[in-house]
Amino acid sequence: MKYYLEWPEPDPTNLPPPAQDIEPWGETRVVGKPLPRVDAYERVSGTALYTLDMALPDMLHGAILRCPHAHARVTRLDTGRAQAMPGVRAVITAATPGAAIPWYFRGQGPTSMLFDEHCRYAGDEVAAVAAETPHQAILAARAIDVEYEVLPFVQDDAVALTPEAPAIHEGGNILGQETSGRGDVEAGFAGADVVLEQTYHTPCEIHTPMETFVTIARWDGNRLTVWDSNQGVFGIQANLARALRLPLTSVRVICNYMGGGFGSKLGLSKYTVIAALLARTTARPVKIALTREESFICVGNRAANTIKLKAGVKRDGTLTALDAVFLGSGGAYPAGATSTYLVQALYLCPNVRVEDNEVYTNAGPSRAFRAPGMPNCAWALEQMMDALATEIDMDPVEFRLKNIATFLQINDTPYTSIGLRECLSDGAKAFGWSEARARPRGRGHVRRGVGMAAGMWAYPGDPRATVIVKLFADGSVNLNMGASDIGTGTKTVMAMVVAEELGVPLDRIQIEHADTGTTQNAPSSGGSQTVLVSAPAVRAAAIEVKRQLLELAAAQLERPVEQLVFQDGEIMPADAPDQAVALADLRGLRGRQVIVGVGRRHPHPEGKIALPFAAQFAEVEVNILTGEVRVLRLVAAHDSGRVMNKLTYENQVFGGMAMGIGLGLTEERILDSRQTGKVVNANWHDYKIPTAKDVPIDQTCVPIDPHDTECNTTGAKGLGEPAHIPTAAAIANAVYHATGVRVTDAPITRGRMLSALAERRGE
Amino acid sequence: MLPNFTYERPGSVDEALEHGSSEGAVLHAGGTDLLGCLRDGVFSAKKVVSLSGLEELRGISPTRDGGLRVGALTTLTGVASDPTIAERYTVLAQAAASAASPQLRNQGTIGGNICQRPRCWYFRGDWHCLRKGGDTCYAIAGENHFHCIFGGSGCYIVHPSDTAPALQALGASVRIASRSGSRTVPIESFFLLPADDIQRENLLEPGELVTEVLLPPVASGTRSVYRKVRDRGAWDFALAGLAAVVTMPGDSVETASLVLSGVAPKPWRAAEAEGALTGARLDAETIARVVAASVAGALPLEHNGYKVALVRGLMEETLRALA
Amino acid sequence: MRCWERPLIEIIRLSVNGDSHEIGVPSHYTLLETLRYVLGLTGSKQGCDKGDCGACTVLLDGLPTLSCILPVQEAIGRQVTTIEGLADPDGPHALQDALDLTGGAQCGFCTPGILMSAAALLNVNSSPTRQEIREALSGNLCRCTGYTKIYEAVELAARALREQRPPAEVLRS
Repeated sequence: MKYYLEWPEPDPTNLPPPAQDIEPWGETRVVGKPLPRVDAYERVSGTALYTLDMALPDMLHGAILRCPHAHARVTRLDTGRAQAMPGVRAVITAATPGAAIPWYFRGQGPTSMLFDEHCRYAGDEVAAVAAETPHQAILAARAIDVEYEVLPFVQDDAVALTPEAPAIHEGGNILGQETSGRGDVEAGFAGADVVLEQTYHTPCEIHTPMETFVTIARWDGNRLTVWDSNQGVFGIQANLARALRLPLTSVRVICNYMGGGFGSKLGLSKYTVIAALLARTTARPVKIALTREESFICVGNRAANTIKLKAGVKRDGTLTALDAVFLGSGGAYPAGATSTYLVQALYLCPNVRVEDNEVYTNAGPSRAFRAPGMPNCAWALEQMMDALATEIDMDPVEFRLKNIATFLQINDTPYTSIGLRECLSDGAKAFGWSEARARPRGRGHVRRGVGMAAGMWAYPGDPRATVIVKLFADGSVNLNMGASDIGTGTKTVMAMVVAEELGVPLDRIQIEHADTGTTQNAPSSGGSQTVLVSAPAVRAAAIEVKRQLLELAAAQLERPVEQLVFQDGEIMPADAPDQAVALADLRGLRGRQVIVGVGRRHPHPEGKIALPFAAQFAEVEVNILTGEVRVLRLVAAHDSGRVMNKLTYENQVFGGMAMGIGLGLTEERILDSRQTGKVVNANWHDYKIPTAKDVPIDQTCVPIDPHDTECNTTGAKGLGEPAHIPTAAAIANAVYHATGVRVTDAPITRGRMLSALAERRGE
Repeated sequence: MLPNFTYERPGSVDEALEHGSSEGAVLHAGGTDLLGCLRDGVFSAKKVVSLSGLEELRGISPTRDGGLRVGALTTLTGVASDPTIAERYTVLAQAAASAASPQLRNQGTIGGNICQRPRCWYFRGDWHCLRKGGDTCYAIAGENHFHCIFGGSGCYIVHPSDTAPALQALGASVRIASRSGSRTVPIESFFLLPADDIQRENLLEPGELVTEVLLPPVASGTRSVYRKVRDRGAWDFALAGLAAVVTMPGDSVETASLVLSGVAPKPWRAAEAEGALTGARLDAETIARVVAASVAGALPLEHNGYKVALVRGLMEETLRALA
Repeated sequence: MRCWERPLIEIIRLSVNGDSHEIGVPSHYTLLETLRYVLGLTGSKQGCDKGDCGACTVLLDGLPTLSCILPVQEAIGRQVTTIEGLADPDGPHALQDALDLTGGAQCGFCTPGILMSAAALLNVNSSPTRQEIREALSGNLCRCTGYTKIYEAVELAARALREQRPPAEVLRS
């Protein structure tokens, strides 16, 4: 099912053609270098100010009362006791004037209210408090007296599909059932030499970024300013303006440093609207910081998936048919659960059928989580590919190489470039795949094995960014862009683009970003689109500045523009470098004191699509007595186009793989489904994200650059999502190679590993 | 974010016991478990009595019988890095080093580690369970992946300590002080099962305080090891662990002490396995018998059956390594 | 702190980064709350408030300590070092430079805690192995980086300190 990154869903088809004709880069001088971040010192010195660190004068603190039942109706609500508590300045509920705000998921019509009397999961918002201290706010929220009519609930996806299941929304629990594909799968299976069928399961995972979810709202008259830890200020602004019925210009959203999101901070959350309402009610700034436990319950997750996959292959390694049935639940609201994309697109296959089922369950709503639906899909598809390779006695890398799709089969669109072949072959070489596969797996209780998996990402980005570059009289530069830097290095990469074009050193570039009041519209930092969307816009703006500077220089040097060259921050006639003029010496610049260049991202290439590809390789050790799985090393080969900065590139890859280790081995939200329906492991001790000791010492990143000159004017494709997609499946395949046991349910906890080993022994 | 309470930092054990026996008082050693419990409302406190001023409860020193006295306030880092413990009581050093995280080992104490409350997520979360005075154990019908396979009745927690099974395998005792005097209790009888008391994990009465841990002398040739299996590479409690202390002067095992962590509401002595091992040659046949005996009487719940295989695996791996 | 919270305020003396502060704090405050909300030192991060993540790590008499589960009274009479005190007046700590150079900080929220754990390691071990680095950092969760570049940074800083050269120079050589 489709995930929406934000609302209103922008229309990428309605962009004007490029304003300038910009040639692709050839060799670059700054871009691509392993340069430290432009804000590195702030990040290592404790001076970087995150929203959680901020306080405004006279600021109040908010807390939210959440429904403790998995399914209930509020029948009575009394705020009297809470109102009388010390320090309490406001209590708001559904009945508060202005709080009857419809709530939207995935851009569709409203599916609930800000405070909905029908609570559909344990965590739904019921009321909120503003008080002088966080402690007082929490105590007062607990003192709100609520009577609930407790309703029967359903949390099992398959049970939710049945007619007997309690209805979570009017019209039942089936949110979507779609079948799509191509060819004739039955004919494909009939023509196969080997047909395998297997059901796979992936867990519900929680994003749980290090900085919690936090917002500070302040009103100046009718104008609202919100400091908010998020991944895209313009999406938050648009949704907040709609919720509060304000024009866009009256809502300013700012996010400078933010401590991670991974998709969970893409959309507007209720706590942000609640903070705005509390601030309006009290006429004071209000800060709401969710507790760590709330971060596990009510601000998104990666939906659990059950994927039944049937595949046919000929002995020569030709895929003949893929048939997959997906089942997932985005929780209590239409929030997205599955992605069938890889089954449809990754490998050349003439006959494909995918059935996609999304249901409502009484659980916290999902949100886009780093490559939504894709690592789950890879967990199934890439284990199936591994099993097929075993059946036909073919090397898994060779098998994949035989089935590379050279175009996007979903809509018969050619790719601007495809480096999957190099990802597979160069990755295998860097890993020492053949030698590692041939090594003995061990006879004792500790077995070694290797595995690999491939992947691709599905979203070409929303190409709507507008950027302003200002060059000041002394030749220093201000880069003004709407894009967020969620830790990936956006600011650094964009400054490098400016430096590349204008020859200005990085320390003379000042950056303003992610502020709807002072920067220009750009899409959110999600879906691996930030670099490929904003960098071309930055480049266009810098080139526009350069164009104006050349005009000024032409007047000063009394030469036509065509005879001038721009080099290392100086302008000179091509035939007379001795007449070079430094930017600060341009008289026209001194007169105006500033040159302003506006750049826009060009539309996507017509009739083609630019997507990134990946192959990852893992070596593991499995203790068959204790079920312990240790990842010994990982190699990641990625075609994400041009490497903009080697340091931030590698970091994205290593970080994506660490998260993949979480999916493969340790992370899993657990619901008390048979009793209370609440999350039992809503904390970092019971929900286990990988520590330093879970990530291998030996990690290698192999960038593949197909020198794509069509995707955009920088040649960069996305990286954040593809880095995470194949890892868990590669680990599972390595576990199989080590033990001969295929664990189809993620994560491969010690318990699951031991149970799978016992099952094979026939116990 | 912590609730309001008063904070006392007494300078002597007597003063601490005085404060500790007032209503709503809780003792604070390293605080690594206590503060989380107070924050999450697992229990509440009117007064927190810090023990950190009690210098006499720190440090490691030899006893007259050739054993070792470990002050209850000795940090886990202190226990893990003490050369005597590392050499003679290896199992204890390894257990202490395997607990929690480096920071928590710097803060957490040996006394606090053996007295910590269970990690059952129903107990820690907002479920009013039996152990908190409610009328239901939610683990029975619920999500019991990490619960006990031995010793449960009514309540199915596991004891979370790594050091306690090591101490029990070593035959250690704890010294307990109260206003009416002090007593020494073998660790073996310090811990309680739910059948003994469903709300307490040990026999400490209100107002009592563990002041020191006493390690008996070890026979020469004693080998000891702590092996812990957890779902995450670090900073995780044991799914199961084994503290093994074995003397094997010749070919056969003279004495064997095998105590399991993570599988029972208290450190769990695998008595049948000890019996099968004692006096036997450490060969494949013996190992098979000991492994089988180690899970005698195990009663897994719906989701924790893997712990039976895990205990067997731990036992087999450890004995093979000792052989 | 506002008068209407009516907590039991205690006046305490606290030594943070070499400065002695006489401050009034509610008796239930942790060291982290005191650093962030009384002293305004927000470099130590609040991640979980119960000792599960390591973002609040400070040095207490040189030892990495979780300030979110340390009652502030426990810090009286001891030397507290936070990320704000890691650099000395002459410039950044080698670890800070090294982390910049290897790109070991991503969103940066875990970074202050990681640096404090790493600094304590280098204080007692001038040439740690990668296993030792992993062990020392195993109490600091990071959701972004996959830790690899953090290891590289600690190794680089260790070498720089041993060779008494700036990390940038070591990296070039």
